[in-house]
Amino acid sequence: MNKNTVQFATLVRREILRFVRRPYNTFLPPIITNTLYFSVFGVILGSRIGEIAGVSYLQFVLPGLVVLGAISDSFENASFTIFHGRWNDYIQAVLTSPMSNRSMVTAYVSASALRGIVTSLLIVGVGLVFTSVPLANPLYLVAFLLVITTLFGGLGVVGGLWASDFDYLTVMNQFILRPLVFFGAVFYSLNVLPPLWRNVSLLNPMVYMVNGVRYGMIGVTEIDPNTSLAVLTGVTVIVLAIDFLLFKRGYGLAE
Amino acid sequence: MTDPAIRTGDLRKRYGDVQALDGLDLTVDHGEFFGLLGPNGAGKTTFINTLVGLVHKDSGTAEVFGFDVEDDYREVRDRIGLAPQEFNVDRFFPIIEVLEHKAGYHGIGSEEARRRAEDALKTVGIWEKRDTRFDWLSGGMKRRFVLARALVSNPDLLILDEPTAGVDVQLRHDLWDIINRMNDEGTTILLTTHYIEEAERLCDRVAIMDSGRKVEVAAPDELMARGTDTIDIGLADPPRTAPRLDVEGVTEVAIIDDGLSVTAAGGSQTAPALMRALEQQGHTVTSLDIRRASLEEVFVDLTRDDREYAEVSA
Repeated sequence: MNKNTVQFATLVRREILRFVRRPYNTFLPPIITNTLYFSVFGVILGSRIGEIAGVSYLQFVLPGLVVLGAISDSFENASFTIFHGRWNDYIQAVLTSPMSNRSMVTAYVSASALRGIVTSLLIVGVGLVFTSVPLANPLYLVAFLLVITTLFGGLGVVGGLWASDFDYLTVMNQFILRPLVFFGAVFYSLNVLPPLWRNVSLLNPMVYMVNGVRYGMIGVTEIDPNTSLAVLTGVTVIVLAIDFLLFKRGYGLAE
Repeated sequence: MTDPAIRTGDLRKRYGDVQALDGLDLTVDHGEFFGLLGPNGAGKTTFINTLVGLVHKDSGTAEVFGFDVEDDYREVRDRIGLAPQEFNVDRFFPIIEVLEHKAGYHGIGSEEARRRAEDALKTVGIWEKRDTRFDWLSGGMKRRFVLARALVSNPDLLILDEPTAGVDVQLRHDLWDIINRMNDEGTTILLTTHYIEEAERLCDRVAIMDSGRKVEVAAPDELMARGTDTIDIGLADPPRTAPRLDVEGVTEVAIIDDGLSVTAAGGSQTAPALMRALEQQGHTVTSLDIRRASLEEVFVDLTRDDREYAEVSA
C-alpha cells in the first residue's frame, strides 16, 4: 500500500472500530427502535390498514424505516465523530498529520456511510422477523443506499464542523432530519394526500430517497427512480465539494 | 538538508483586538535545540500552531525545511512531531492503538506502526500501560504519552510546547534525557517553556518573545553575559556613604553590612578595575563575590523593556 492509501485506511479503520466497539450505542438502538416500529405500525396498525400499492403495509413501511435508520446513523456518525474530536481536540492528531484534506473527508464520510449501510441491513434483518423482504431491484437498492448514506455522511461532516455544542447535534437530528423523514412518505403513500400536500411533499428530498429504496426493495415507486438517483447523486457531489472546501479553509478546525 | 528547520518572515496573526503574532522573523537551524521563551500571551503557541496548520496566518511567510506551511502542508506535517501543551488525545482507544493510528496517519504501515508504537511507549517508560486509555493515566504518564505520540512518526522537527509543565523533578529529568538523545541523533527541537533553567540547560539558542514579536535571539550564555551582574565587595573599613566609582560598566553602588554591593555589566571583566579604584581611594578589599545574572533576570529585563517600549510607542 502506498502512503496515501495507508493514511486513508488508518482513519477509516479508526472510525469503524469506534462504532463497532460500542454496539450498545450504535447498533442496538436501531434494532430496538425498529422492532417497536414493526410491532406497532406494522403488526398492530398494519393488520387494519391492509395493502398499499399491492404489498402489505409492513412491506410498504420497511423501505422508509431503512432510509430513516440509514440517514440518521450516517449523519450522526459523521457529525458526532467530527464534533467530538473538535470538542476534545483529538481531531488535531489527524489535522496535524500529512493526510490530504480530501483524504480526511473521504475517510470520515466512507466510515459514516458504512455505518448507515450496516444499520440498514440490521433493520432489514429485524423486518425479516415480521415479514418477507422482496428484492425487486437490488442494484437500485444498493445504488440508493450508497448515495443516501454518502450524502448524509457528507452532511454530517458539515454539521460536525458547524456545531459548537452537543445541543446542535440533537437539534439537527431530531428537529430537522426526523420530521423530514416522517413527512417523506415513510408511513403513507403520496397518493393518499390531497393534491396540494402531495405537491408540497415533492419539495421534501426524503420523498425521493424513500421512493428510491422502496423501488429497490418492493418494485413500487411514485417517482421515477432514475431521476431521483441522478438528482441525489448530484446533491451528494455538491455536499462533498463543500466538505472539501470547509476542510481546506479549516472551518471549525483551525483558527 | 540545507534549508533551516524553521524560517518565518514578518509573520502576522490577529485575533480580534489581539495581535498574537506581530511580524515575527525567526530562523531555527537544522539540528538545533532551540528554546522559545516568553510570558503568557507572547504568541508562542500561536506560532507553533501556525507551523502545524491549526492556525492560519494573516500574512508573512512560514517554512519548515524549506516547505511552505500552507502550500506544502503535507510535506511540512510529515516532518513534524508535536507534543502540545494541552492534552488532545483520542479517548476512545487504548494508548498503544492511539500511537498506531498516529503512525498510520503518517503513512506508516500497520506492522511498522505497531513496532514504533511499542518502541515509543518503552522509550517514555509507560509500556506496561499500553492497553490503558489516556484518561486513566496519571498526570505524569499523560505527559510521557504526549511525547511518545510526537516521537512515533520519527520526526525531523520535534516541537514541545511546555513539555514539563506541572511534572515532578524526576520526570522532568527523564524527559530532558529523551529529548537530548533525540537532538543528539539529529532531530531539531523547538521547545517552549516557562522554566528558564530548562532553556538554560538544554538549548543551543533561545528566542525571547513578547507581544507576538521576537525580542532577542542568542545562546543562553550570551544572553546572560548581557545581563547585569552583582559584585559584593567586603571592605576592611566600610564607608558610611557609597563612594563614587568611575569604572566602565558600573551602574549602581550600594552600601551593605560589611562593604559594597556593585551592579555592573560583565562582572568578571569589571571586578579588577573596581578593586583598583577602591584601593586608590584608600579602601582595603577583604572579599569579593560575583553573582552572574540569571537567564531569568535577563528574560524579565528584556520583556519589561519591550513592554515599556511598546507603551511609549503607543
